[in-house]
Amino acid sequence: MSDVGETNSHTGFDAIDHQPAYIYTPSNTNDDALERPTKRRKVARGRPSVLQPHDSINSLVFEPLLGDFETLECVQQRQDLFQKCWSETDARIQSILNEANEDTLAEVTAFVDGPGDINQVDDERVPASFIVTGPNIASQDLLFKQLSARLKKEINGPIVILRSGDASNLKAVLKQLIRDATNQRSEDEELSQEQDGRKLLNYDLEILQSYVKKHGSQRVVVAFQDSEAFDTNLVVDLVTLFSAESCSSWMDRIPFTLLFGIATSVELFQERLPRAASRCLYGFRFDVEQTSSILERIFQSAVVNTKASLRLGSEVVASLMERQYDHVQSVQSFIVALKYAYMCHFYGNALSILTNPSTSSQLLLKLIKPYHFEAIRMLPSFRKLIELRVESQELDRARELIQDDTILVQEIEGALESKDGNILRLLRAFHVFASALSEPPSGIDLYMTIFEGALSNSDYLKRALDSVKRMTPDDLVVFIQRIKGAIENGSYELDLDGWADEDEGLIRELRDVEMKALGLSENSADTEKPIRSSDAIHSKGLRTTVIAQRVQLSYEKSTITEEEKEFINLIDHVSRLLEQYFTLENPKDIFLNELWLCDSADSFLDVFAPRPRAAIENALSAPHEYLTCEMGGSEAGLSSTHPPTAIIYQSYLEAGSLINMADLWTTFHEILSGKKGDEGDEREALMQFYRALADLKLVGMVKQSKKKADHLAKVAWKGL
Amino acid sequence: MASMFSLPSEVMLTSLASQFPCREQQIRSLATLLAIRGAPSRNIVLYGLEATGKSAIAKALLQRLSTESDNSLVNGDSDVPLEQLRYAVIKSAECITGRHLLEQTVGTVAKAVNWEGNVGRCENVAQLVVELGRMLEGRRISDKGATNYRIVLVFDGIDHQREAPPTLLPGLARLGEIIPKLTTLYIVTAPRPNFLHLPGVPHIHFPSYTKPELLQILSSTSPTPQLPSGAKETQETWSRFTSAVYDSLSKHSGRDILSCRSISLRLWPRFIKPILDGQLSATPFGRLLVANRSLFQNESVLIPGIISEPPFAKSGALVQPGNESKGKYQGIAAQLPYYSRLLLVASYLASFNPSRFDTVHFMKSASSKRRKKGGGTALSRSSTTKRRTISRKLLGPQAFVLERMLAIFHCIKDDADSRGRHGLGNDRKRERQNGSADIQMAIATLASLRLLVKMGAQNAGDTMDGACRYRVAVGWEVVRGVARSVGVEAEDYLAD
Repeated sequence: MSDVGETNSHTGFDAIDHQPAYIYTPSNTNDDALERPTKRRKVARGRPSVLQPHDSINSLVFEPLLGDFETLECVQQRQDLFQKCWSETDARIQSILNEANEDTLAEVTAFVDGPGDINQVDDERVPASFIVTGPNIASQDLLFKQLSARLKKEINGPIVILRSGDASNLKAVLKQLIRDATNQRSEDEELSQEQDGRKLLNYDLEILQSYVKKHGSQRVVVAFQDSEAFDTNLVVDLVTLFSAESCSSWMDRIPFTLLFGIATSVELFQERLPRAASRCLYGFRFDVEQTSSILERIFQSAVVNTKASLRLGSEVVASLMERQYDHVQSVQSFIVALKYAYMCHFYGNALSILTNPSTSSQLLLKLIKPYHFEAIRMLPSFRKLIELRVESQELDRARELIQDDTILVQEIEGALESKDGNILRLLRAFHVFASALSEPPSGIDLYMTIFEGALSNSDYLKRALDSVKRMTPDDLVVFIQRIKGAIENGSYELDLDGWADEDEGLIRELRDVEMKALGLSENSADTEKPIRSSDAIHSKGLRTTVIAQRVQLSYEKSTITEEEKEFINLIDHVSRLLEQYFTLENPKDIFLNELWLCDSADSFLDVFAPRPRAAIENALSAPHEYLTCEMGGSEAGLSSTHPPTAIIYQSYLEAGSLINMADLWTTFHEILSGKKGDEGDEREALMQFYRALADLKLVGMVKQSKKKADHLAKVAWKGL
Repeated sequence: MASMFSLPSEVMLTSLASQFPCREQQIRSLATLLAIRGAPSRNIVLYGLEATGKSAIAKALLQRLSTESDNSLVNGDSDVPLEQLRYAVIKSAECITGRHLLEQTVGTVAKAVNWEGNVGRCENVAQLVVELGRMLEGRRISDKGATNYRIVLVFDGIDHQREAPPTLLPGLARLGEIIPKLTTLYIVTAPRPNFLHLPGVPHIHFPSYTKPELLQILSSTSPTPQLPSGAKETQETWSRFTSAVYDSLSKHSGRDILSCRSISLRLWPRFIKPILDGQLSATPFGRLLVANRSLFQNESVLIPGIISEPPFAKSGALVQPGNESKGKYQGIAAQLPYYSRLLLVASYLASFNPSRFDTVHFMKSASSKRRKKGGGTALSRSSTTKRRTISRKLLGPQAFVLERMLAIFHCIKDDADSRGRHGLGNDRKRERQNGSADIQMAIATLASLRLLVKMGAQNAGDTMDGACRYRVAVGWEVVRGVARSVGVEAEDYLAD
C-alpha cells in the first residue's frame, strides 16, 4: 500500500482513490521488495498533458452497455448527446453566474475607479472595500475571478489576488504581490529589478513603484480573498506597510486599493484588527447576492427550463437541497451535482439516445436494436403501462406489447411524441402557479411537488384555493389577470413561450369570469355596498348586544344579496377551473419517463457525501467484509488470519487512552503465533508489528505520548 | 580659514524653531551635534513617544544644514563648496528584513553622494562597511575641493526593524569608528539602556507635548469650514474648541497630537453646525458647548472605524452598519449550514465544560453512575468548598481536542434531531453523519473563518488531526442564539 502511494503520489492523484475496492496483495511475496523503487524525478509534463484531453474528446469514453451488445454508433450517440446537453445547460448556468455578481462588480469597480477625493487631502488612509460574501468560502473564488477580470478591463493598473493558503509570511506575500503585479503585462519586456545600478531584493516594493511609474497605473488593487483565514499579524503588517498613517508611506508612491473578501461580517473583522491597522483603512461595505437566491435562479434555468433535456426527480432534488441546507451552501456544489446527474444518465442509461431532440423519432427508431426493446420491457414504467392495459381489460394489447416488437415501436413512437407535450404541461402548470399567487412558494419546493405528481392534493394548492375564497371581486380580477398574463406571456427564465392559443378554453372562461367580476365590482362601487368575499359570507357573524346590563349573544344570519350570490358562483367556478388545471399526471407514471427523468438519490449521496473516516475504521475493524476469507478471515473480532494492521487496530480499540507498547506487542505476537501453532519467526512478526503501527500512525490514529515513556497516545475513537 | 567651532546660522535655527513650536531646545542640541563645525558625534540617539516630531525635525534640520553648507563657498573663487553635509534617511518600517535595511542603506547613501559606480550586494554589516567606505572614499577623491565634509545616516524607527539580527545595532554603532566623518542618527521610541553597547552616546529626548504646547500647535491649523463671521472668530472658537476636545476626549485616550488633531477636525463641522444653521452664535462659547455636549460624551469617535461615514452615499449600495454589538453575529447564525451551527455549539460546550464532567452531561445511560462520580465523600466536599472557584465563563474558552468535540457533537446532534427540526418530519438518514467528509469540511470551514481558533503553531499538524487542539472564538450570546436555531438548549449541557 505504501509502495503504491510512494510512486503515485507525485502525479497528483492516486488511482486507488477512485477504486471502489482495494485489492490486497499480501506482503509475504518478497520478490517485489528486492526491486528498486522507482525514483521520483521531475518529468516534463507540459505537452503530453495538453494533447491528451484533446484526443479523448474525439475517442469514445463511454462504455458499451447492455452486456456489451450496444453498437458503437449508439455509444457515440450517447456521448455526443451528453456533451451537447451539458454544454447547453452549462452555458445557461454560467450566464446566470456572471449576471449574479454583476451589481457587486459594478459597485466595487466604481469604488476602485473613483478618485480618492472622498476623503480629505491630508487623510492618507488606504481605501478599502469590504465585500461580504457569506460563509460559503467556495463562492469567493468565482467572485474574485470575475472581479479581477472586470477590474483589469476597466482600470489601468495591476490587480493581485492573495489567498491565505499561499501567504505564510510578509516576505512571501510581498514577493507574490510584486511578481503577480509586474507579470500582468506579458507583452512588455521583463521589468528590470535594478535601480541605480543596484539589484533590488525581490520583495522590495520599489520594484512595484517603478512599475507603476513606468505604466502610469492609477491603482494597484490588492485583494484578500479570504481575509478571515489570513494571519491577523500579516494583514496588519501589510496594511501598515501600505498606508501612510504610519511612518512608512508607500501610499504616496504606490496608489494602493485594498479589497477584502469577508465571510462573516465587517464588524467582526474590524474587531480582530488591532487599532494600528484599522485606523489606516477606510472604505465601504458591499454585499453579495445570497447563495440561496442564486441557487433558485440556477435551478429555474437549468432544471425547470423548457430546454433542459434532463429533468431531476423530486427525490434527487430533495437530497440535493437537504445537503445544501445541512452542509454546504454552495452554488458550485449544486452545479457539480447537476453535471453528475447528466453524466450518470447518459453514461449508464442505454435508452438515453431516444431523448435526442434534434433527430426525428423515425431516425431514432432505426437505431433501436432488439436488445433495446428488452431493456424497455424491463422498465418500471413499461410495467405500469401493462398493468394499466390489464386493468382496462385490453389484454390483447398488453400481450402484443410484451411479445411484438412492432407494436412496441408504435407505442414508443407515441410516447416520444407526447413526451414534450407532457413535460410542457407540467412546466406550464408550474409557471402559472408560481406567478398567480402573490406569495408563491419557493420554486424548488413547487417543482418537487409537481414532479412528485402531488400538486393536486398538496398544501400549496389548498392554500391557493383558500386564498381565492377570501378574495373580493377586485382581488379576483387582479388574480385572473395574473394568470392570464402568465399564460399569454410565458416566462423568460424558463424559456417558456406564451401559449394562449393552445389553452383557448381556459382563457375564454377566465375572461368571462373577469368580465363578470369587473361588472360586480363596478356595481358595488355604484351602490356603495361592498361585496364581501365568499369566505366572509359563509362564516356566521357573532353579534353581541348589551341589553339591561346583560350580554346577549346571537348568531347573525347574513343576508346574501343577489350580487353576492353571483360572486359566490364565480368563485366556485374559478376554484373548479384551477383544480382542474392543476390536476397533473405524475411524471413517474408516464411511459418511458426514465428517458428524461433522473431520480435515484442513493448514488448521489455516495458520491457527494463520502465518509472516508468511517470507511477506514470499518475496513480495519471488519476486514473480512473486504477481503477473501482465507486472506482476511471470515469472522469478526480478533483473529490471527486478519492483516496485521487490523489485529493491532482491534487491540487499539480495546485499550485506554494510553497504550503500553510492550503489552501491545505481546498481544500481537501471541495472536500471530497462535496462527502458526509454533513460536514462529519473531523477526518477521516484529516487522509486521512495526509496519502495522506505522500504518496506524499514517492514518493519524496514534501518536507518541509525552505523558509516559514507552506509551502511545490514542488519538482517534471509533464512530465519530 | 574660518574658526574651528561655529554653530549653524541663527536665522536658520529660529526659522526652524518657529516651524516646529515648543521644540527649540531639541533643535539646538541636535544642530550642535550635527553641524560640521559644531561638536560632531559619531552616534546620536533621538528618542520619544509617537508623534513628538523626532523624524520631522531631524529631516528638516538635516535638509537645511546640507543646503547651508553647500552655500558656504570659499569667497566665491570656486564652485566647489568648502563644506559638505550629506544625509540619507532609511525608514525601518519599509524594510522587510534586516538585509533589506542594509540594501536600502547602501542605495540611499549612493543616491545621497551621487555615486555613479556599481553598487554591490550587501548581506551583512561587514559588507555594509566595505560598501560605504568605498563610496565615501571614491567621493572624496572625485571632488577634492570639499575639505570638510560629513555624512549622516538616519535610521528611522530602527528599534521596530523586522527580522533584525541581534548584532545589527551594535554593528551600526561602530560604523563611525571605521569610516571617518560619519554620523549615525537613531530615531527610536524607547531605547533600552545601552542598546548600542557603546558608552557615551548623546541622547536627545523628545518629550510628549503638554496641554498648553499641544493647544498652541493645534491653533496653527485652520479648520474647515470657516465660520461665517470671519477668520479671527474662527480661530478663537477653534482654540477653545480644541481645548474642550482635549479635556473631554484626548486626555484620557492618549495625548497623541495627531489623534487629537484628527478628532478635532472630524468633530469640527458637527460642532459648528448650529452656528452655520444660524441657531446659535459663536460668542457665548458656553452655550455652544452645552448644545453640543453629546459630541464630547460620545466616545465612539475615538474608535477608528474602517467603514467610512455616510457623506459618500449611493442609494441602496451602502448599508449602514448596525451600531449594536449584538447584530454582528446574527448574520452568521442564519447563514451557516445546519451542521456547522451544531458543530459551533459543540465547540462552545467543549471549550467551556471541563472534560471531567463530560460523563455527567453527555452520557445517556445510568444516572446512578453519574451521582457516584459527581458526588464524593464528606471530606472531599469540604475541601472543594474551601477553594474559591472562578466560573468557567469568566476564565474564557479553554482548548479542547477535536475528538472530544466530535463526540459532543454526535451527542447533541441526536438531541437536536429528536426535537424535530423546522417542521420537516421526513425520515432522513441520520446515521450517515459519522465520519462523513461533509462534517470534516464544516470543521475546516469554521476554522478558516476563525470561529474556531487552532492552538499552537499555525501550520503544525493537519486541521483534521484528532489530536489537534482548538478553542472556540464566539461568545455565549451568539452560541445561545445559534443553538436555539438548531433546536438545542445549550444551557442544559453547560457545567455552571
